[in-house]
Amino acid sequence: MLPILAAALALFLATPAPAADLFLDAATETGLDFVHVNGMSGEMYFPEMMGQGGALFDYDGDGDLDVYCVQGGKLGPGASEPLPGRLYRNDLSLGPDGRRVLRFVDVTASSGIRTTAYGMGAATGDIDNDGLVDLYLTHYGANQMFRNNGDGTFSDVTAKTGTGDARWSVSASFFDLDRDGWLDLYVVNYVDYSVEKNPKCFAPSSRRDYCGPADFPPLRHTLYRNRRDGTFEDVSVRTGVAARPGPGMGVVAFDADRDGWTDLFVANDGAPNFLWMNRGDGTLRTLQRTFQDDALLAGAAVNRRGQAEAGMGVTAGDFDADGDDDLFVTHLTGETNTLFVNDGTGLFEDRSTETGAALGSVPFTSFGTSWIDFDNDGWLDLFITNGAVRILEPLAQAGDPYPLDQTDQLYRNVGGRLEEVTSSAGKVFQQPGVGRGAAFGDVDNDGDTDVVAYTSNGPVRLLLNQAGNGKAWTGVRLGQVGGPGTRIEVIRPGAPALWRRVHTDGSYASASDPRVLAGLGERREPVTVRIHHPGGRIVEWRGVPVGRYGIKEP
Amino acid sequence: MLKTMLLLALLAQPERQTAAVQPVLQPVPHPSLAGLDPEVAAQIEDARSLVDGLLAQNAADVAERDKSKVAEAYGEVCKVYHAYGMTDAAMPCYANALRLQPVNVAWSHYLGLLQQETGKLAEAEASYRRVLASFPDFHPARIHLGEVLLAGNRPEEAEAEFRQVLAKEPDNAAAQAALGEVFLSRRQYAEAVRYLEGALAAAPDADRLHHPLGLAWRGLGDVDKAREHLEKAGRVGVRPADSLVNEMESLRQGPTVHLLRGRMAFRFGRYADAAAEFRKTVAAHPESVPARINLAAALGETGDRADRNAAKEQLREALALAPDNPTAHFNLGTLYMQDGESAGAVVHFREAVRIEPADPVSRRLLAQELAKDGRPEEALAQYETALGIEPQNSLMWMEATGLLLRLGRFREARTTLETAYGNLPRSVEINWALAKLLADSPDASLRDGKKALALAEQLYNLFPSPYHAQLVALALAETGDCPGAVQWQRKALDVIRQVGKPPEEVKRVEAVLKSYQTEGTCRPSFLENGYAERFGEDLPPVWQ
Repeated sequence: MLPILAAALALFLATPAPAADLFLDAATETGLDFVHVNGMSGEMYFPEMMGQGGALFDYDGDGDLDVYCVQGGKLGPGASEPLPGRLYRNDLSLGPDGRRVLRFVDVTASSGIRTTAYGMGAATGDIDNDGLVDLYLTHYGANQMFRNNGDGTFSDVTAKTGTGDARWSVSASFFDLDRDGWLDLYVVNYVDYSVEKNPKCFAPSSRRDYCGPADFPPLRHTLYRNRRDGTFEDVSVRTGVAARPGPGMGVVAFDADRDGWTDLFVANDGAPNFLWMNRGDGTLRTLQRTFQDDALLAGAAVNRRGQAEAGMGVTAGDFDADGDDDLFVTHLTGETNTLFVNDGTGLFEDRSTETGAALGSVPFTSFGTSWIDFDNDGWLDLFITNGAVRILEPLAQAGDPYPLDQTDQLYRNVGGRLEEVTSSAGKVFQQPGVGRGAAFGDVDNDGDTDVVAYTSNGPVRLLLNQAGNGKAWTGVRLGQVGGPGTRIEVIRPGAPALWRRVHTDGSYASASDPRVLAGLGERREPVTVRIHHPGGRIVEWRGVPVGRYGIKEP
Repeated sequence: MLKTMLLLALLAQPERQTAAVQPVLQPVPHPSLAGLDPEVAAQIEDARSLVDGLLAQNAADVAERDKSKVAEAYGEVCKVYHAYGMTDAAMPCYANALRLQPVNVAWSHYLGLLQQETGKLAEAEASYRRVLASFPDFHPARIHLGEVLLAGNRPEEAEAEFRQVLAKEPDNAAAQAALGEVFLSRRQYAEAVRYLEGALAAAPDADRLHHPLGLAWRGLGDVDKAREHLEKAGRVGVRPADSLVNEMESLRQGPTVHLLRGRMAFRFGRYADAAAEFRKTVAAHPESVPARINLAAALGETGDRADRNAAKEQLREALALAPDNPTAHFNLGTLYMQDGESAGAVVHFREAVRIEPADPVSRRLLAQELAKDGRPEEALAQYETALGIEPQNSLMWMEATGLLLRLGRFREARTTLETAYGNLPRSVEINWALAKLLADSPDASLRDGKKALALAEQLYNLFPSPYHAQLVALALAETGDCPGAVQWQRKALDVIRQVGKPPEEVKRVEAVLKSYQTEGTCRPSFLENGYAERFGEDLPPVWQ
């Protein structure tokens, strides 16, 4: 008997404990049935594998996040109308047992959103200060601006606003350039590629493969200033952002040097990143040379060794709880993802290795990402979605027609050190896909951050957070549509303050929840929330109870 | 050299593998050969067949006497996979070679390189340590081991490895650069400067090192030095001299490999190297038009006259093969243009335009060359078509205007600028040119001081520069406001003096001021002469 028992015990011990599902994919059962079509023709058109993202935004103002999914279509000879992107309304309700019930309804047909080009990404913001969130779509082709009419429909105001940049754009960011209270728009353009002149590119093996950004001239980016009358003006030349082109991918608007003026970081693909420091002259007259690219001296242009990496997605957040925003940039297979730590004055240091951010990233090509406190312990963790851009030989051999699949990653922040927890994070982190954009937000309003992960040529995934529930948290919503550039300070009794950024930008080609959610761990006592407006105005809100979103006008 | 060393050592060491421990070979996912260059496919097939043949003879197990033979055969195919970036096949392949022949640490080194490349740090560390256990002075393995330790956030251990290399070879650039990085990561900036400067002294071409060096100076608080180095930072890094890697890389062959190498060299501005690689592609595929175009592009950039002629020859060959290739025509036209041979340039740009009528770039260059060749009417026709295709191109509007001015067709110039302004109301160049023409056109009937002033003031409000102040002065003069013109011209002069502009520029602005002050008409007399030539020169420098 004894030997058998011992063997059984050994078997039991050797079986790994099942990983806890920190996130569960609920797309199918909630009706989020979008499938991206990249139009894969075999011609290896470059845009086919660069899309796509989408948006999490409360377009109908009912207090929950709706989902927009950017669509691709067919490219090249015989291409017809682009396929439409899809808008899904979130009909979140409480079930009879008190549980939250998520249900998404495809409302594209009635929304008035008619896309006219091959989709790449989305940005959200209230362009006319009417309290309704508007939608900007980036394309391979002319971009489109949709104004929210407030009745569940949108109007295409691209021509009126003058924001239809016709070049290949990937990400965009709404932010307040001149602190006039009106959102301006930075559009990240990529490279001067045309399907009509699709060159043949090759892998080192000599086999045909997708091209990379170095095969084409990079484009200049566009900065639109909001004229406050429903139109925008292109101030790219005047402000200096057109001074140099770059194969741009991701963008975040944040106050790098905490001078009260919003700066911009652009992740460039295979070229030095931009850090446009806003000199803050404030008026149109003095907007000249408003921006200066200080990325090199700031230490955020390239990695510590001086290598320009293939920047894809980017996120800014105070991961080390020292009161300033740090940058995390995702990169190509063979490179590490890079964490640029801010010293508070806008000077950065590549601390990817020391913080653990680099570890585990080399095998992956990473795109969408965000600092999210997935476990609500007060420390910003990292979610990263991955998908290759070069053909993966084993998958190609196995007959995969689009052999770029990789799995996503999750890093937990333990007191300023990042530890990869992917292998114990559950099933969704073992499901391969061609990850691209990712939008982040509390989709089911339960006080933790969920993820909408966009897959190139595959189904969208709704990753509902299972880890944050049960921990204390507080949320802040500035009006209906946020207040980009505002910083939120959450003062906890007996613990350091938490700093969070109000934003919808970042990640890759995606727009996220404008609400701020701060995890408080086990501390359930009320907190003080200070709202730091970009102009320096501070609003303090004391005795804020935990476990709910407080709504403040911006 | 190293290969010989390793083989000698192999001969000297007894086989450690015992018959009792049979190696278990991993399955190697041999990549598909579909779509590869035929030369590459044949090379892989040859190497693979050797392994397959030997394994077939040892169906059940590899006999002791054949192990080295099979390992060597595996090694060859592994290196070929490695050379062509087929990492998924190369790794198990090397692992098999190593299992069969554990004393040949070359397999371990190659395996380490791939493990490092794919982020398998622990495995890479073990591989390099295996190499160093047998060959402690094989510096590439030690440097890579240090890199792996550094990547794993073990800087102290990494430092020890780099120092060990430097103890034996004090000028080793890779080890110095790596040590510099260790100190930079520890914020020991003075030490970082010391080692990075040492690395640059040993490998002056490694301009990428200027970046960490710049950051080290930033850390020391010397922003000027930091900027100086950051501006010098380029793309060329330093890597350990590694004969094993060189041997593996030398296995790459086939026209596509040369094409890729050529593109890479071209991208890094090494045009002679690019030409050498593209020449091999042409040799392999003399019928390939893209190969000849690439070769010509590289030859055209070397700066050597003979190479330029050779470039033209390659393009002519390409056109003999494909008479309607627009890129070949465009490039040949560009070479003629750069050599000042407008007639030749016109022929080829015209062809490029015929083949791709919607290409505004070829059309614009054709217009430029037609103008130079004394055919202004044809040039204007080309500008008109090109501007119809690309109405947002402000520089092209300016060129067309300049040509009209040179022809003395001021009325048409004004109409052209007004059309341009309609298309590009926010273009600084167009605003400037229209304001200037309205203020000082030699054809007085075209002048409109009020409009000129409005445009000039708008421009100044956007860009309060001395150039725009002078434009305001000029417009005021046209309206007859001489004191105003004097005031604005003086304003411009003050700034120009303040910022230390060259004396000739100061003199010129002074002369204009004098003319505003002294002449009753309040109009600079020299404006009548050489108007069209000076029109472009007067543009603010930033727009030229």
